[in-house]
Amino acid sequence: MPAPDWPTLLQDNLRTGGLGIRPAHAPNRPRWQFRAGRSIRSAPLLRDETLYVISVNGTLHAINVNTGRAKFTFQTPAQVHSTPSLWRNLLLFGCDDGKLYAVNSESGAKAWEFPTASQVWTSPVIRDETVFFGSADTHFYALSGASGDQRWTQALPGKIYSTAFATEKQLFVGCGDGRLYSLDPATGKIIWSTATGNGIDCSPAVVNDLVLFGSEDFFFYALDASTGVTRWKYETGLGIVSSPAVANHLAVFGSKDGHVYAVDTAEGQLHWKTQVAEVVTAPPVIGDGIVCIQSGGLVALDLASGKMVWRAGLGGSVQSVPVLTGDVIYLASLDGEVYALE
Amino acid sequence: MDRRTFVKSTCLGTVGFCIEGAPANPQQQPAPAPTLPQAPPIEVHGLPQRKPSPLGMPGLYPGRVVELVDRNSIVSNRVAQPIVCSMLEQGMKELTGERSYSAAWSKLIQPSDIVGIKINPSGAPACCSSPEIVREIISAVQSIGVPSKNIVVFDRYSYEIDVGGYQALLPPGVGVLGIEDGVGDISGYNLNAYCEVNFFGEWETRSYMASVVAQTVTKIINVPTMKDHSAAGVTGCLKNLGYGTFNNVARSHRAPYSFTDPLIGLMCSAEPLRSKSVLHIMDGMRMVWHGGPLTQVQDYIYQAGTLLIGTDPVAIDTIELETIEKKRAEQGAPSVWQHDPKSITANNMEFFHNPAKNLFYRRPGHVAAAGKLGLGVAEPAKIDRRTIHRS
Repeated sequence: MPAPDWPTLLQDNLRTGGLGIRPAHAPNRPRWQFRAGRSIRSAPLLRDETLYVISVNGTLHAINVNTGRAKFTFQTPAQVHSTPSLWRNLLLFGCDDGKLYAVNSESGAKAWEFPTASQVWTSPVIRDETVFFGSADTHFYALSGASGDQRWTQALPGKIYSTAFATEKQLFVGCGDGRLYSLDPATGKIIWSTATGNGIDCSPAVVNDLVLFGSEDFFFYALDASTGVTRWKYETGLGIVSSPAVANHLAVFGSKDGHVYAVDTAEGQLHWKTQVAEVVTAPPVIGDGIVCIQSGGLVALDLASGKMVWRAGLGGSVQSVPVLTGDVIYLASLDGEVYALE
Repeated sequence: MDRRTFVKSTCLGTVGFCIEGAPANPQQQPAPAPTLPQAPPIEVHGLPQRKPSPLGMPGLYPGRVVELVDRNSIVSNRVAQPIVCSMLEQGMKELTGERSYSAAWSKLIQPSDIVGIKINPSGAPACCSSPEIVREIISAVQSIGVPSKNIVVFDRYSYEIDVGGYQALLPPGVGVLGIEDGVGDISGYNLNAYCEVNFFGEWETRSYMASVVAQTVTKIINVPTMKDHSAAGVTGCLKNLGYGTFNNVARSHRAPYSFTDPLIGLMCSAEPLRSKSVLHIMDGMRMVWHGGPLTQVQDYIYQAGTLLIGTDPVAIDTIELETIEKKRAEQGAPSVWQHDPKSITANNMEFFHNPAKNLFYRRPGHVAAAGKLGLGVAEPAKIDRRTIHRS
């Protein structure tokens, strides 16, 4: 059976990390707490009974979720800000040493590595056995997932801190030059690009032939996926780096103005907005009727109304996303603590 | 540092401390102030065998400040980069007296330099060094022959740089460095350059100079913001350099008391920080007149559309202090010199939302104290203030 694709950050538009929509209840007590030792900037991943967390000092921790203890660690030589992706038995992530690493998710052994000329903060995405990612060296890469061999590379005018979205016929990625690019996944050729007013480092979501993303120019955009024409845009109070989650015809995202917004994907009309903190930079994740986001602490909002459902004073984050399961929420926090909350 | 330097630093620090509390405008003298504690002796240990540079603070143009105001430089809270570019060019020519932009920059930066750009990301995203201004500074430095790989934008806290989004927003090839990742991370500091003092019985009594300043860069361009500061009175050129270069500085203020005066000036006097800091470009696109340095409350952030340019950090900070005082007076807020016990609150939210409240007795006297240390001109009458109203 072929390995499922991992076409975007945390595998799907809901940012669920491949888990699908799960019920999430207000946490009552910690099951365990794991000290990673250093700050955590990226989002954790869960597969079977292992939680994968990478601290910014470059240590990958594979944590047994039953015991809260590390099964193995893998150390990179530089910092890591990249959220990992899972494909087959490989955990893939970028590193500030400019390399993309593929590590065996069972043993922690390095399978392959691929060098670029600058730091890789983006999360690799995988489609049809090809790994796609951008680097701060201004290049976008396509590699063989199995071997790490380069298939093609495409130079862009700015640094790439945006995780791509891969469909069958198009890749979509934001760039530091303020443009959103569509590339041909077979060749890397630029199909179209659309300008915004400032850099883009959030990851786009793609739904109903719309490319949805925010820019540092304060606007949230919906572009026609085929042509790049702007269908609508919605203005917030400050820049947007929070990658959107999409469900029930709503795009949900945070803004640096401290609010979480829900706009309808068809017209860009505001459905609700809720202030959750002074600044929001992390992506939201959508559970069963709720939106969870790490900002200051962990906040849960009602997906339909935006009303605060509950808040936990744990889990400060720049870019981390909680893992929601039926009975446990896993949180990686800026201060280096990992929590399993029942 | 030898004993003579130590004594000098300590004494000057005491002078600075003693003159603190003298308001710029005596008419703003508040109600009787409480007696504030004396600052303990402070040892300053710069790197040995460093010859002070004539380009170092106060630099080539002591007392000269070019102030450019352009209301179109910030519209709807967005900084207009083309206008900033024009302001920077006009300001650098005015500062140096050179006719060409590249000649103006070449007075201070050489192609062989390794250039550090010290930003202020604290307060991001509401008020931090604007990426648009930093991009224009980078472009200017590149234009005189400094390669991108020899330019590094830095600050102490990497997570604040992350929130500001500088990595994605600055040009390719330019380094972006957060010196530390969390409390206790001293891997980015030089243990031979430090300030030592025990303010409140803290367990760690040293503050170390960042290695990027001590060793890596040869010149520093300082890009502070224009902000009120709950402990220091204002955070401008001096505080952005001193507290953004040395670690373990939050210990200098424990509510309601602050020893930012004289520590800020003393830190800036340490070599090689003093010699390498050759230019200061204060980002006054947004001016925080209350709640600094971390506020996100837009009610107290005025879109001033201003740049202050000079080689003298004391003169720039003196103007900044005057400007913020004026704005606070316009808004009915008490002076930053006020030391009224009734103004003190331990409630952060009350402080952020009430300009009459503060967490500390502010110590804006650090600017004048730095002047006494020879870092620049603090007397307003002696400052060559060249104001250019562009629109």
